[in-house]
Amino acid sequence: MFLNRTEGLPLALPAALFTFLVFLVPVGILLSVAFQNVGGGFSLQGYVDFFAQPLNRTVFLRTLKLGVLVAAVSAVIGYAAAFCIVSLPATSRGRVFGLIVLPLMISPVARTYAWIVILGRSGIVNDVIVGLGLSRLPIRFLFTETAVFIGLLQLFLPLMIISLVSAMENVPKDAVPAARVLGANWMQVFFRVILPLTKEGLVVGGTLVFTGALTAYITPAILGGSKVLMLETLLYQKVNVSNDFVSASVIAMILIVMSFSANLLLKRIATAKR
Amino acid sequence: MKTFIPFVALSAALAANAAAAEGKLTISVYSFAQDAYKEALYDPFEEICDCELVIETGNSVERMAKIEANAADPVIDMAVISSHDALSLAQKGLLQPIDTSKLSSFDKLYPAAQDPLGDNMGVGYTFYASSIVYREDLVTIDSWGDLLGDDLAGNVSLPNITGTQGPLTLMMLDKAAGGDASDFTGTISDIGAHADDIVTFYSRSSELAQLMNQEEVIAAPVGRFAWSRFKSSPLPFAWAEPKEGQAGGMNVMIMTANNGNEELAYKLMDYWLSTEAQTRIAEALIDSPANMDVTLSDEIAENLTYGADLINSLNILPPSTIIAERDAWVDQWNTEVIR
Repeated sequence: MFLNRTEGLPLALPAALFTFLVFLVPVGILLSVAFQNVGGGFSLQGYVDFFAQPLNRTVFLRTLKLGVLVAAVSAVIGYAAAFCIVSLPATSRGRVFGLIVLPLMISPVARTYAWIVILGRSGIVNDVIVGLGLSRLPIRFLFTETAVFIGLLQLFLPLMIISLVSAMENVPKDAVPAARVLGANWMQVFFRVILPLTKEGLVVGGTLVFTGALTAYITPAILGGSKVLMLETLLYQKVNVSNDFVSASVIAMILIVMSFSANLLLKRIATAKR
Repeated sequence: MKTFIPFVALSAALAANAAAAEGKLTISVYSFAQDAYKEALYDPFEEICDCELVIETGNSVERMAKIEANAADPVIDMAVISSHDALSLAQKGLLQPIDTSKLSSFDKLYPAAQDPLGDNMGVGYTFYASSIVYREDLVTIDSWGDLLGDDLAGNVSLPNITGTQGPLTLMMLDKAAGGDASDFTGTISDIGAHADDIVTFYSRSSELAQLMNQEEVIAAPVGRFAWSRFKSSPLPFAWAEPKEGQAGGMNVMIMTANNGNEELAYKLMDYWLSTEAQTRIAEALIDSPANMDVTLSDEIAENLTYGADLINSLNILPPSTIIAERDAWVDQWNTEVIR
């Protein structure tokens, strides 16, 4: 379209300026609070104070654990679903793909509230458990890590499936049959053929799911409440309850670092030589 | 002529705007029931004062932060807030004493509402009782101590320590355990020991109403101002009268320091505390009256914290205690309860 790269750059200027002014500058100002002492000088004391508190350490580790768990489980389910979808005829594939995308068009608030109905003491899951005699009394699911995990998985699984379907569509059609003919079992087919050919999709999906799980607020707030605090719900408390902007900025910085680290780590794994 | 008419119109608009700005009062209030407040208080007051009310809403932390951030050139002239938050602002020098001689209904206020912060830094405009709402078909509540008993294990919710109801619940649990409300360390440890029996620690009464209507929770402490949410439910909720009594709290009116709009602020305070306005606000089931002359029907009174006997019997936690101890309570809570 353009004769050289620089010719098109002015067209990107409005978007770049807009992003710089309304996103990067405010975020920079907000995050700078996390590196300041009372006198305004540079300090890492906010981080020391944050990690000195046992509750904050627990919340940090829980957020990391749930983020990794949601990303890992969604990758396992996502691969199975993606493999199934790309094997379908083109017309059916479009319909199934539409069904996968459909939840993304529904507000996370509505989707999360649905879990209250499903996981509640008088919800469908407990009705089945008590009905089958697996437990005499309803089991407490809400306000547990299990509930937050289920909610986050449901929220972000479509992103993983979409990423993996896109990646798997680029895998040569003959690759799997060829591997099978050459004597590979299904585990070998997956780890030696499918995974290497779809690792870019896994990196994109893994990053989206992990960072989404780290930063989602509504789902942990509704399904976990104050008993299962995550970094994002703790951040909200620091701002809206404690008026503690230093701790809130520290948490925001930790979340950003975790997101970038996850992306770099996944890319590293994907590009690592066997 | 074509340019003259818009010029005149613009001048007239600017003049009108300037006139309106002269009679503008900015107040900071809780965000709940604003439509009802508009009808019961704001609109009638604007008619009387011939001024414009600018309403700023938000939670306590946001509103306090705004008052503090604009201390040099106050944006908020007058605010209504909990007594302990008001004391916190007063201790930072952000408020000015209220000249009670400018409040014609001052002598009609319950004595506890006349100077709850000391030095006339605030005037109480509403009381609220706090007790336990429970499912009367499933459980009986005789004491605040029942909240941590075996009958309610796994079915009870407590307010979070960071909210207004949290410290009140600590006080009443301490009282039930034989304490004198001077030290809540043991009470917080006791809640921590029962943390697995508590479904969740709620932050807003609307959140609790939802949990109880979904039958996730069958008993929890809550302010009387939220009773209408439970009373209208098809489930059989009851309001407990524990042997230790009910807890109580008060919200107050405050005047920001050096706001330059004191005259209008006093006008609104005076109107808000008048028997007429307090009656209208109570009849709309917004706030319970602090004016002793307000007379309500039994039906209305049943929903509110009303009457000298009830108000004088409330266990009120001194705002100074909350301010002094809150950080220590939150630290211990985060270590032993939330974990």
